[in-house]
Amino acid sequence: MNDDATRKTLVLGWALLALFLPLGLTLEALHALKLPVYLDSEMRREMWTLAHAHGNLLGILCLVFAVVAAKAIPDDAARASIARWLRWGAVLMPFGFFLGGVLNHEGDPSWGIALVPVGGLFLLVALMRTAWAAWRS
Amino acid sequence: MKRRLLLLLPLAIPSLVVAALVFGHDPVEFDAAQPWIHRTDDFVGSQTCRTCHLDHHDSWERTYHRTMTQRVTPETIQGAFDGREVRYEGQTARVFRDGDRYFFELPDAQGRREAEVVLAVGSRRYQQYFEREQHDEGFIFRRLPFLWHIDEQRWLHLNTVFLGPDDANWNKARARWNDNCVFCHNTGARPGETHRVSSGGQRQFNSEVAELGIACESCHGPGRRHAESERSPVGRYTTYAGKRSTRDIVNPAELEPQREIEVCGQCHGQRLPVDRAHLAAWLQTGPTYRSGNDLTDHVIPVVRTTPSPTEQIPDLFKLRFWNDGTPRLSAYEYQGIAMSACHAEGTLKCGSCHTMHGGDPKGMIEPEMRGDAACTSCHTKIAQDIRSHTGHVETSSGSRCLDCHMPRIVYGILEVHRSHFIEIPDAARDAETGRPNACTLCHLDRSLLWAARESRRIWGDAFRDPLHRFDRAPLELPDATTSLLAGDAVQRVVFASAAGRPGSDLTPAEKTDMRVALAVATGDGYPSVRWTARRSLLALEREWDTGLSSLLADWDHTAASTRTDMAYDLLDRMASSAPPIEGAPSVLLLPDGSINMERILALLDLQEDRVIDIGE
Repeated sequence: MNDDATRKTLVLGWALLALFLPLGLTLEALHALKLPVYLDSEMRREMWTLAHAHGNLLGILCLVFAVVAAKAIPDDAARASIARWLRWGAVLMPFGFFLGGVLNHEGDPSWGIALVPVGGLFLLVALMRTAWAAWRS
Repeated sequence: MKRRLLLLLPLAIPSLVVAALVFGHDPVEFDAAQPWIHRTDDFVGSQTCRTCHLDHHDSWERTYHRTMTQRVTPETIQGAFDGREVRYEGQTARVFRDGDRYFFELPDAQGRREAEVVLAVGSRRYQQYFEREQHDEGFIFRRLPFLWHIDEQRWLHLNTVFLGPDDANWNKARARWNDNCVFCHNTGARPGETHRVSSGGQRQFNSEVAELGIACESCHGPGRRHAESERSPVGRYTTYAGKRSTRDIVNPAELEPQREIEVCGQCHGQRLPVDRAHLAAWLQTGPTYRSGNDLTDHVIPVVRTTPSPTEQIPDLFKLRFWNDGTPRLSAYEYQGIAMSACHAEGTLKCGSCHTMHGGDPKGMIEPEMRGDAACTSCHTKIAQDIRSHTGHVETSSGSRCLDCHMPRIVYGILEVHRSHFIEIPDAARDAETGRPNACTLCHLDRSLLWAARESRRIWGDAFRDPLHRFDRAPLELPDATTSLLAGDAVQRVVFASAAGRPGSDLTPAEKTDMRVALAVATGDGYPSVRWTARRSLLALEREWDTGLSSLLADWDHTAASTRTDMAYDLLDRMASSAPPIEGAPSVLLLPDGSINMERILALLDLQEDRVIDIGE
């Protein structure tokens, strides 16, 4: 866990939790205050709920990766590369959802949603490579 | 091997999703497959609109437009089908349910029969019920004789809610849904007249609608081409980027005022097909008007001078308007607003005050347009000094824009609504044409002569004295009392309603004449007048309890045989309980507190003999 890649992933994991756990509280507050800017837009509610969920789950995934990476991916170069893919995916996906709910249209998210499939692709690659490396080890 | 299989896991979830989409429940398909529903003429149904317009669908879903026509389920039925008996003019019906099915047991020529309720129309003030009559080559939805009054939680025979005299014929209001209600209480109506008469001698229909109730496509037009053109995300995001305009759908908010009011006017403005060809189309494939069209290419909005299509009722349309041409029944709001200078010479349209996607579903008025704001948002100078414009203190109802310029003079099934003809009150015109005047609807103890002189004092010489009253009653008499006794049925119901409305500046004692006139109105030959008089008397009793409440509450106003006794009973009690108060001169009580029957009878004699009988 002492290499640079896993350390960065660990930091990012905690950072995502620090950001997206309070987002949950914020969403609850928006409900409590019955703010139309949030409640009247089904699309915004969905996008921000997804941002909250993905941010936290991917934060936890980063933490887990940091703990098990050295054992699962013995090769240092591969581990660094996979960690990079994972970090990009973990950032792009929740932020894509969040931005998709900013200036969104009634039936579609805003352009920010374009970050989500990109992030998803990064994550998929990271996970496939991790699974492959773990299988090979 | 097992490890390799694990690698297929990422493919499993998408495969399950695809399978669920292919084999799972599809609300759009489900709606389209329901009985009486069509998907022709480019109608697609509100479930399709919901896919993209979640918020507008949600806000529409709250409205009474959506629930205007509904299939019968325990969730949609509001009436108490609890086995009770409901009476009208010596006959009895029984309303009951059997599981999730609802029935009327009705008297008929053979004795009794059961009619199963299959359709419910209305959900705000009252709910009407329809049975299905199956014929050789079609079916008819036939209106059943009682409706459920939601506020009062009671059954009422239809003969007693429309503006007509007592009539013991139970079947008088047994209207046919297929070529009446279907048009405006549904979306994309296709009456489907077969042009073949059944063996029972009935016209036959195979009616369908795009959607039960008033849904998206009633106002936005059929949505198929729009839904198809917006299906591609590339197309949609091109639109969002401003590189392409949204096509193939009408947004009434973006229409110019005349086209916009026509969208609402297609239903909120009684009309006739423009010619026989259009009438034939109406009865087979439905109205030809679509949102954004010029309405007058398709229909002729009915006005006071529109010739009656039937010789038997030459005054068919004339009776629906006050003598000066102002609509006096609901569902003529289009005609009212079209006559108004704010629209004809300005930019006023329905959406200036109303919203289909916000505010209180009752009235559907923009929250920020409630009350005076509806007018002062444009008439800003008046708003700066309301008192100098109105001649009334700011807090008075005389300073409320709508009470003077949109008075409550329009009858619609047991309620009196605001006129949508935005006008300047004119006591001389109103006296001479026999229509209610905004001033005397509030100043219930004042005459039209007084109103004309006060108008002249406050607003200048444009206001002259009336030469006479339309009903030939003395000009000096209080208008409300006089109209309640000498007016026609619509005048009587309008003033009976005004008498019980809160907000009058009169003390309860000053309303003595109104109480006496209302007591006389409980003996009226029109059950809707009796209903309104009874309700207003009960309201006045809440202000000043003279011991009449229980008598009125227990009285069934629909029983024509009791009306005269009730009126005399009330007058007797008033004579003994409400002596004239000093400083509150009365025209219907004598100085000793007895009822001035001579004057009452003289005013009643002035009532027109002409029977007004206006169904829905």
